[in-house]
Amino acid sequence: MSAGFVLDLHRCVGCGACVLACRIENGRETTAAWRRVLPLNLRRYDAGPTYFLSVACHHCDEPACLQGCPSGAYEKRPDGIVVHVEDRCLGCRYCEMTCPFGTPQFDAGRGVMSKCHLCAPRVDDGRAPACVATCPTGALQYAADVDNAQVRPFVPGFADPAGCRPNLRFRTPAGSTRAARFDALEERLRT
Amino acid sequence: MPALRTVRTVCPRNCYCTCGMLVTVDERDRIVAIEGDPENSATGGHVCLKGLSYARRQTYPDRLLTPLLRRGDGADFEPVSWDAALDEIAERLGRVREIHGPAAALYYEGSGSHGALGGLAMAFWRQFGGCTTTYGDLCWPAGLEATRLTYGANLHNHPRLTVESRFIILWGHNPAETNVHQWRLILDAQARGATLVVIDPRRTDSTDAADVHLRPRPGTDAALALGLARAIVDAHLHDTAFLAAHAHGFEAYRARLADYPIAKVAEITGVDEAAIRTLAISYGRTKPALLIAGFGLQRHTHAGQAMRAVALLPALTANVGVAGGGWQYANLASHCLQPLPLPPEPPAMRGIPVSQLAGHLESLEAPPVRAAWIERGNPAVQHPAAPRVRAALSALDFLVVVDQFLTPTAKLAHVVLPAKTLFEEEDLVTAYWHPYLQWRARLFDPPGEVKPESEIWRVMCERFGYDTRWFPSDRRAWLKGLLPAAQQDAIDELPSRPLDLSGHGDVAFEDRRFPTPSGRVEFECAEAAARWGVDAVPSYAPIDEGHTGAHKARFPLQFLSCKTRDRIHSQFGNLDWVQGVERPHVVDIHPSDAEPRGVGDGARVAVWNDRGRIELVARVTPGIRPGVVHVLEGWCHEGDPDVNALTAEGLTDMNHGATFYECLVEVTAV
Repeated sequence: MSAGFVLDLHRCVGCGACVLACRIENGRETTAAWRRVLPLNLRRYDAGPTYFLSVACHHCDEPACLQGCPSGAYEKRPDGIVVHVEDRCLGCRYCEMTCPFGTPQFDAGRGVMSKCHLCAPRVDDGRAPACVATCPTGALQYAADVDNAQVRPFVPGFADPAGCRPNLRFRTPAGSTRAARFDALEERLRT
Repeated sequence: MPALRTVRTVCPRNCYCTCGMLVTVDERDRIVAIEGDPENSATGGHVCLKGLSYARRQTYPDRLLTPLLRRGDGADFEPVSWDAALDEIAERLGRVREIHGPAAALYYEGSGSHGALGGLAMAFWRQFGGCTTTYGDLCWPAGLEATRLTYGANLHNHPRLTVESRFIILWGHNPAETNVHQWRLILDAQARGATLVVIDPRRTDSTDAADVHLRPRPGTDAALALGLARAIVDAHLHDTAFLAAHAHGFEAYRARLADYPIAKVAEITGVDEAAIRTLAISYGRTKPALLIAGFGLQRHTHAGQAMRAVALLPALTANVGVAGGGWQYANLASHCLQPLPLPPEPPAMRGIPVSQLAGHLESLEAPPVRAAWIERGNPAVQHPAAPRVRAALSALDFLVVVDQFLTPTAKLAHVVLPAKTLFEEEDLVTAYWHPYLQWRARLFDPPGEVKPESEIWRVMCERFGYDTRWFPSDRRAWLKGLLPAAQQDAIDELPSRPLDLSGHGDVAFEDRRFPTPSGRVEFECAEAAARWGVDAVPSYAPIDEGHTGAHKARFPLQFLSCKTRDRIHSQFGNLDWVQGVERPHVVDIHPSDAEPRGVGDGARVAVWNDRGRIELVARVTPGIRPGVVHVLEGWCHEGDPDVNALTAEGLTDMNHGATFYECLVEVTAV
């Protein structure tokens, strides 16, 4: 069981409110954002749906950042949240190389890494992460146990090449044109 | 924990949502959270990325904090004191009035920030002896007038009732990008089983979520609406009881439908005949059905007639006055404020249509416009024929611009005055989607030398020796006086929650009383004919710069410049946070148009016509109708395409609107 995010790909319009909410909450005025929105198929080719992947840290079951860190600056909490402990960070940027998702960001001004902590202080306080609380369409959700969600573990644009077992899941409601396009894609991948 | 305070306020932008916001500030006046106000049941406790970006904008390094003065053409701006700026203004504005008279000064206010206090500028200009102002609107007036003529008022159901709809048509509307809170309600309705139909020449984030997507040629919506009506009536799906009781001129309208057989409508619109019939029958049979029109389909010459044709469909099917149904265009229920107390209007007031600013600046006589004051707007890039606007502004003897940033318009000014943000002055803000009047709170003192516009006009009056009693000494008391006479106590409640003071209730026209001359829904409208010289019954006429236009041989492509989610026109995109999530400003072109022009995906192309030329990157996509090209509008930073180099200064048939989407172009590889 692990905490993580569930993203409804029918509801997400890639607006970026989650990115800005994260910046405000986590005080990152000028450096790279912890959360990003990756648009897929903006050309709207008929081969598949157009959708948006709002991604931050996936709080993996097998976190490559943690495994590759020489100074023990990463910890996985019992609830699954992977946190970066800044006062143990050397700024060696190994995690930047080992994380297949490009999640840890180097803060050049302070010479340390940083990344999404799933708003652990808010979660501990019983509140949703800032990105989730802000999402205007309700597309981005927090799950204390992502495996319980009725969801797809995989969509094109999101892979797990290093066996990290990321805790991000996707929802595409049946019946919509977009869901049909996802189904067609999956069918193609199977055959 | 540091001491935090949370203040309720409202986003005053020219946007559907007008979100109630809860802004949390720490003891050092830093914004630590911006959240939606759950008391606003339309926006449902959410804000969008633009609202969140205020946390960055409030202290953005580029913000103007002092008056700037440019001594002589080509000189750089230098920061000056208010005294120096006012000296310059008094001297040069005074000289223009002396030589040419007061109407040689243009006062231009854009839609950049809504609030009642903005109207105080007139306390100065009326004492100045008059001025030239603008009338009409760049955005939406034809649809407003069409709705008023049809139903008697611009009202619609409370947004939260959207979820009760079983059938939703979005016509020329893309709320997934332009009204994200409405989009949530539409998705909720869809999750409860509603069918979603989107009518748009483009594929958008809204069309991609739809069950049905029709792609008419731009400018043919009147024909499509009349064709749908014809198919509804042919199938006997019109509501004869409703029409007998509440329609005016239905027989004349029905006779008009004889001119629109479905095959002909299919040919005009480029929409498949079967698709028109299927939509008509589904819409006619499924109740309640909600028809939501955007502003896009009324940005051409025959816009008012097109909007009348579309607006009648809900009445034809008796979807008016019911929860989950209705006609949604604009909801002016919150526009209940009384006129500002102002000095009497002098005779030298003169009006020009805002949509034809360049033409009037170029040609007005007796007197010509020789000076201008521009606030809350950016006409140098956002107006049709923008290069001509820039040339005309550059040729003025004197230009003052009030803004938070050095916009393309501000760069042309002789004096730039630093504007407040939404957090720096109390005000009352109306909306045009939900019915709420909202209180805009003052969270901070204006930084540096910034003065709110109302304060600028007060010091201008002082400098010119005018009466300043029109200006509030106590803003709250002054704003209270603007509330409807019987509801002025609401001033105490407004800071804590949004209020619907209209008394209209959540379902518009629930009593089926329509404030039109006939008291009924006007299928035939004598006022439309008398006031605007159009046919009393809606009809379709092809636009000059449309798919059958005379210029089609040279400029075969219809050009659209639509809105997206990360900007309100030229606002927000200057911020680094917003640039991090912005959409690419490319030209969308269909493969069947790109291939014969030798244009590949990602190629640099020129989009041009006799009015202008822009260069940008092509995105070859099936997501646009063949024969149509599209570029996102809104000039926010270097590299953004100057789309209004291409657009023309036309006027809509009703209410002095602009015709941004009536624009033929050619695309050439460069």
